[in-house]
Amino acid sequence: MDLNAPAIDIRDLNKFYGSFQALRGISLTVRKGERVVVCGPSGSGKSTMIRCINQLEEHDSGDIRVFGTLLDDSLGSIDEIRREVGMVFQHFNLFPHMTVLENCTLAPMLVRKTPRAEAERVALKYLEKVRILDQAAKYPGQLSGGQQQRVAIARALCMQPEILLFDEPTSALDPEMIAEVLDVMVALANEGMTMICVTHEMGFARKVADRVIFMDKGEIVEEAPPAAFFGKPQNERTKLFLSQVLGH
Amino acid sequence: MTAALHTPRNVVWKRLRRDYFGTLPSALMTFASFAVLLALGGWVLNWAVLDATFSATANQSDCAAKGGACWSVIAVRWRVILFGIYPYAEQWRPALACMVVAAVIILSCLPRMWSFRRLALTWVLGTGVFYGLMRGGILGLTLVNEQQWGGLPLTLFVFVATGVIGMPLAIVLALLRRSELPVIARVTGWIIDTIRSLPLLSILFTAAIVLPFRLPGFLIGEKLYRVIFGAAVFFAAYQAEIIRGGLQGIQRGQEEAAKALGLTYWNRMSRVVLPQAFRLALPATINQFVVAFMETSLIVVVGFIELLAAGNTAYKTGEWKFAYVEVYAFVAAIYFIFVFGLSRYGAFLEARMNAGHRKD
Repeated sequence: MDLNAPAIDIRDLNKFYGSFQALRGISLTVRKGERVVVCGPSGSGKSTMIRCINQLEEHDSGDIRVFGTLLDDSLGSIDEIRREVGMVFQHFNLFPHMTVLENCTLAPMLVRKTPRAEAERVALKYLEKVRILDQAAKYPGQLSGGQQQRVAIARALCMQPEILLFDEPTSALDPEMIAEVLDVMVALANEGMTMICVTHEMGFARKVADRVIFMDKGEIVEEAPPAAFFGKPQNERTKLFLSQVLGH
Repeated sequence: MTAALHTPRNVVWKRLRRDYFGTLPSALMTFASFAVLLALGGWVLNWAVLDATFSATANQSDCAAKGGACWSVIAVRWRVILFGIYPYAEQWRPALACMVVAAVIILSCLPRMWSFRRLALTWVLGTGVFYGLMRGGILGLTLVNEQQWGGLPLTLFVFVATGVIGMPLAIVLALLRRSELPVIARVTGWIIDTIRSLPLLSILFTAAIVLPFRLPGFLIGEKLYRVIFGAAVFFAAYQAEIIRGGLQGIQRGQEEAAKALGLTYWNRMSRVVLPQAFRLALPATINQFVVAFMETSLIVVVGFIELLAAGNTAYKTGEWKFAYVEVYAFVAAIYFIFVFGLSRYGAFLEARMNAGHRKD
């Protein structure tokens, strides 16, 4: 791990499902502290791309480097990268048989070998940060969707990762719960967390993104700072997508 | 349960009337079923208690005079039923051994004992004490070979050993069957399907009688342990499929979340995936244990006098030949105690595991 290297450096990434090519020559560099929003129509490969970064999906060719560490087939490099890259999922994926607090302390205790008392102290700190401290003893099934997603963010933060990946974190939420999750994400962004967010929340992109990336059919079609991206989109496909997302 | 307790009496009465006496046919059905139950219950009570003979000194004609059950056979022969052909003077040892096994089972059922170290310690200690008591040859206890073990301790030992060896084997088989490497997954599938397509009897026969001709001498070991190994492999093949069913009920996101947090394969399985799989597989697992308990009686065919066979020997000698119903009722009661306990424990586990998933 070299914290001076780019946080994420992707070169010419290709990914196939059978004969279907999900990613076509993706190249992307994310600096430490940068907030990148990835958008695009469904099936455009945006989730697949960020899932390649922590190897929930194996890529077929191309290089992925996280803080200079090359992801190769060795288990060592995958473990090293997963320790530094947290992920928040569309469907929360909290462990239903553990309390909120146990969800948050599991990985630090097993992976970082943090003593229980210290792990719980850190967990309570982050649960307070996502404003859900009073639910620490409950089970995920007893919480609302928005609360569960905030716990999932706290769980990822407890590993004290350098980078957070968000895979459509608000897509499975009822409308009235989206704001509470976005608030937490905005707060994280303002603290300088390196973030890659796959999301359709264009308001969030405008507010916090350093760069917006538009993907379609497995390619990066356009990338620009939010002002330029929303103000003067260059590509026809981008314009079409934006008119569909913002048009009503 | 609690809701029913708080329901006012007149509401309960109203519900009873509506559900059981609502229409003429349903009222007739209720009366008819009630009459049958009453008659059956009365008959069993008369036979088993009121007209029964309990004295250990009574004989066949004394029992016949009273007309009911002749429990004298149990009073006289209970040690044969419980301990088989174990030397008479030493039978305090299997009695104590049974209590040790029961204690170990009860201890491992308590949630506060569920850590690897505590369970392992309990089981190693328990098995050691059981084995020492039963076999002897140490601490001045006379040596009693496995061939002379019998009755309840043998049944319990075979059952517990089958579970203790079979369950970890089942977990390994289930995990191998869903391996990402197709060769391993397929070969494991074949192994499981092959074992499941063989009758347990043939496996026990093979283990007891055929294997010694094929194995090198140092691997043969005592017949009892070969038979237990066979039963455990059979148990594992079925239990592996039960666990696989549980694994299939878990959303893929669970393992992905554990991966994303950096957990190793064993931590993902032992902390995230298997606990949830076992929760889903619990009813079928309890069922499998109940079946395994019943199937211990099959080892009689390779010459072991387990509980049921010991019951057979208890009434087949001379004067008690007429009293087989009483002996079987007694043996059935022992099986019932264990299996009913197992089922209730399963229900307790289910309630406990569901507690966390309920919305409040």
